[in-house]
Amino acid sequence: MSTEKVFPIFAAAFAVIYVLAVQYNWALFTYHPKIGEWQWLAQPAKNGPPMYWYGWLVTSLLGASAVSLISWPLTRRWSAQLWLGWMVPIVIVVIFIYLFRGFFLR
Amino acid sequence: MVTFLLILHGLLAVVLLGGITHQAVSVAWPSRNKIGIVRSYRAVSGSLYTNANIALYLATATLGGIIYPTYRVGVRTFLEDARLNSAVGSFELKEQFIAVGLGMLPLYWMLWRRPTEAGSKPARVAVTLILCAIVWYAFLVGHVLNNIRGLFGL
Repeated sequence: MSTEKVFPIFAAAFAVIYVLAVQYNWALFTYHPKIGEWQWLAQPAKNGPPMYWYGWLVTSLLGASAVSLISWPLTRRWSAQLWLGWMVPIVIVVIFIYLFRGFFLR
Repeated sequence: MVTFLLILHGLLAVVLLGGITHQAVSVAWPSRNKIGIVRSYRAVSGSLYTNANIALYLATATLGGIIYPTYRVGVRTFLEDARLNSAVGSFELKEQFIAVGLGMLPLYWMLWRRPTEAGSKPARVAVTLILCAIVWYAFLVGHVLNNIRGLFGL
């Protein structure tokens, strides 16, 4: 059974989980750059701005891997839905533009 | 050290920009012959670029992640104080687009590794063009922000 068949699902799941992670701040960890400190999960600012990007990436990586693993047996029966791997990321990109529109309208 | 990494980040981005653009043109606007520079540009074998583009994307994103704290503490604060909201927003979008692109890399690798099957050509074109657009956007935003004080006389 080829693992490659789950790659479109991985791309779609990664994009969806990532936008949710950004919107609801599901960061697996937080980095405080001014004091060089790492903390588990999303934490509030501590002497300077906190950084969640690394945490969002790892959340999405683990989440998309889990979704791919669960859907792996299904891909044996179904053909790979390649469109998922590019259509969903395009939609997510548009959602990001909408979510961040405030920066450009102020 | 950060300056060195920033320059290296920019140089890798330039190489990636060339590789992914060349590949995108070859798959979206292919040519069978190599008469003239434009047709030669379009007639390259796109699959040759795949592994290099993936390695460059990962290396550029990793370097960007390493120098990101410097931006977050120093540069973004300056941009916010200067009320350059569009610049801040452009960078925010850049980091999100890069992340979405990272998730597409395994699919991109798969689509270029095997010969084009029935139905996979549109996916190959779409994924390559999306990654190309992400790289172009990230490069332009990074370049403008890096030079924003000079460009806008701040």
